[in-house]
Amino acid sequence: MKKEIPIIAYKCKKCGRIHYPFHDRCLECKNREFEKIKPQGNVKLLTFSAIYNLPWGFDQRFLILGVVEFENKVKAMGQIKSDSIENLKIGMKMQPTWEPVRTQAGEDVYGLKFVPIH
Amino acid sequence: MMREVAIIGVGMIPFGRRDEDSLMDLLAYASMKALDDAGLGDKSVNAVYVGNMGAGIIQHQTSIASSLVDRLSLLPAAADVVENGPASGGSAVKNGLLAVASGYYDTVLVVGGEKMREITGWRATDFVATMTHPEVEYPYGITLPGMAGMFTRLYMEKYGVTREHLLAVTLKNQEMGALNPYAHVEMTLDREGIFDSSHAVVNNPIAADPLHLYDLCPVSDGAAAVILCPLEMAKKKVKTPVLIAGFGQATDTHTLQERDDPTDLKAVTLASKQALEMAKLTPQDIDVAELHDAFTILEIAESEHVGFFKKGEGGKAAVTGKTRLGGQIPINISGGLKARGHPVGATGVAQVVDIVFQLRHELPENRQVKNAKTGLTVNFGGFGNNVVSFVLKRVEP
Repeated sequence: MKKEIPIIAYKCKKCGRIHYPFHDRCLECKNREFEKIKPQGNVKLLTFSAIYNLPWGFDQRFLILGVVEFENKVKAMGQIKSDSIENLKIGMKMQPTWEPVRTQAGEDVYGLKFVPIH
Repeated sequence: MMREVAIIGVGMIPFGRRDEDSLMDLLAYASMKALDDAGLGDKSVNAVYVGNMGAGIIQHQTSIASSLVDRLSLLPAAADVVENGPASGGSAVKNGLLAVASGYYDTVLVVGGEKMREITGWRATDFVATMTHPEVEYPYGITLPGMAGMFTRLYMEKYGVTREHLLAVTLKNQEMGALNPYAHVEMTLDREGIFDSSHAVVNNPIAADPLHLYDLCPVSDGAAAVILCPLEMAKKKVKTPVLIAGFGQATDTHTLQERDDPTDLKAVTLASKQALEMAKLTPQDIDVAELHDAFTILEIAESEHVGFFKKGEGGKAAVTGKTRLGGQIPINISGGLKARGHPVGATGVAQVVDIVFQLRHELPENRQVKNAKTGLTVNFGGFGNNVVSFVLKRVEP
C-alpha cells in the first residue's frame, strides 16, 4: 500500500517563501507566521549524484541521491530508485514515495524516495 | 580602537596517517614548533584556542584545550576549543585574532588538529556527514562528496566546467604536494594514469558522480599552529612578522535545497570580500592564495567567488596555468587540501601557516611565489554554510 508522504513545509504568510525544513523566522523577511503545506504532485529533479563511498550504516555498493522540487515548489533531498545514473537527467520528472531509506538500531527509518518517470 | 595583530610563530607537522601519535601528540608537536618559532620556547601565552571538530566523536575525548595547556605547561592560560566543522581552524584563528585585537590578551596560541585515520573510512565518512541537516539530509546517506557531486553537476551545466578543468586542479595540486614535506600525498599523478587510458577506470574510479577519486581530498591526521600578538610587539620580537590585515566570515543556509541558486557560494563571496575590504585590497592585489579544495570543483568555484576570475572562467584559468606558480594568481602551492590533506580541524590553521611561509620568503625556489607580499585564505565549512577568510600581509623588516 502506498504510504502518504508525511512531510510538512512552511510557507511564509508575509512574503510567500517556502521553507523545508522549519525555521523560526522566514529566511527572506524574518516573519514568524507560516502556513503549513504538504508537498504536492510529482517532482522535478534539480541535481543528483551517485555516491560510492557510503557512510557507516549503509551496506550497499552505491547510493543515488537527488534534490527535487515538488509541483508546489517545496524542495527536498531524497534517494532515487534507479539501477544506474545513466538514465537520469536534470529536469526529469519523478514520482515521490515514502519508504525505508536506512535502518537504525534494527528499525526502518522512513524518508523520501523518487521513482523516475520515463 | 582595535589593535593590529601579527603572526610571530608558526608550526606544522607532516600530515598523513600517524598511527603512532595520539590527537594530543599532534596538537602538542605543532604547538611546540610554533612556540619555538616565536622565540617563546620557555615562555607562556595568555590564551589558547584549539580548532577541532571530532575529538568527542572519534577519540571519545572532550575538553581537549584543557588537556593541551596542561601537557604544554601553559597553565594557567585561558583555553577553549572552537568547533566549526571543517572551518574550525579558521574560526580558532579568528577567536585568537579578536582576543588580541581587543586588547584583552597579548600573546595567543592557536592550534588546529584532527586525527581521523584511527577509524575506518566508513566511520570517517559518517563523522564528516554529521554536519549535514539531521532530519532532511543525513538520514538519506548524503556525504560531503555527495553534496560536492551534486554541486559539480550544476556547475558543469551552468558554467561549462569540464572534467578536463577538474583534472588540471588535481595534477597541479598533486605536483605541488609532492614538493611539500608536510603533505599527506607526496605523489605526482600523470594525465594518462587517471584520465585518458583504460587504466584510469581502475586507478581513478567514480567516487561521487561526476567527481572521481582524485577529485577528492584524502582523510588525514595532522595539526598546525600559529602564535599571535599585537603588531607593535611583534616588530620587536621577530624579524619578519606577518600582519593579519583582513578577516571575514559569513554563513549560508544549512541545506543545499534552500539556496535560491546552489551554484552561488554566497558565504565565500561575502567572507573574502570582508577580508579584502578590511585589508584595503582587491583580489588583483593578492600574490598567493590557499583555497579550500576539499574537492577540485571547489578550487575552481572559490577562485571565481573570491574574484580572481569571472564566473565561468576559473576552470579555463586552471587549464591555462594561471593558478600555477608563476601564473596570474598562484593557488594552493602547498598542494592544497587535495595533497597536503584535510584533517578537518587543522586545515584553516594550516592554510594560514602556508601563507606565512610564503610571505616570510622561506620556501625553496620551486615552491616560493617570488616577492610575495600578500596572501588570502578561504576555509570552507559545511558545504559552504560557514566560511572564514583571511588576508595576510608581509611586514618588511
